[in-house]
Amino acid sequence: MTKHWLMLIVGAFFEVLWVTGMKHSTSWLEVLLTLVAIIISFYALIRASEALPVGTAYAVFVGLGTTGTIIVSSLLFGESFSLVKGLLLAILLAGVLGLKIITGKKG
Amino acid sequence: MSWIYLLIAGFFEILGVGSISRYNQKKDSLSLLILILMFGCSFLFLQLAMRVLPMGMSYAIWTGIGTSGGALLGMLFFKESKDWRRLLCIALVLGAVIGLKLVG
Repeated sequence: MTKHWLMLIVGAFFEVLWVTGMKHSTSWLEVLLTLVAIIISFYALIRASEALPVGTAYAVFVGLGTTGTIIVSSLLFGESFSLVKGLLLAILLAGVLGLKIITGKKG
Repeated sequence: MSWIYLLIAGFFEILGVGSISRYNQKKDSLSLLILILMFGCSFLFLQLAMRVLPMGMSYAIWTGIGTSGGALLGMLFFKESKDWRRLLCIALVLGAVIGLKLVG
């Protein structure tokens, strides 16, 4: 079970890479790397869904991907980070944590 | 027309999520092809919608349709848990993602 949650984190990590790549790619090499990141991220999502309910897996995949994208755009690309964003991120992570706890018990 | 593109994109995303389940059950190349086609169409229509509609809002609506629809599809066709705590947590994650896309 834990292995599959790790897969979701890997999937979300590569999701952040390709979302960033789609926004900022300027060369063919970067476009190619973006495509590779899409493939790895979906591969990880599919592997995670082997054991986790797909509705849960997809929500966590999207949620963690959004979290990462917001952190990257604040840290690397200087987008503003507000109190509202911080609160929403806290709610999001609480939801992910809740899913992890519940899914462990009942599948 | 852009709104219709956005709805179509969300619809293909639901089918994409469903085809992940199908692929994991069957593990054949037809299921993989369907999976790639569904997500491919979804991204294509999202891109078309985003030419006119604001990006953050388009993404929020697209994710909203796909994630909630994917969860429903899982419960209806793949016997996934209907535990209210699970649904509440999915709603929390989804609500926060939509909020972040709208304020971001």
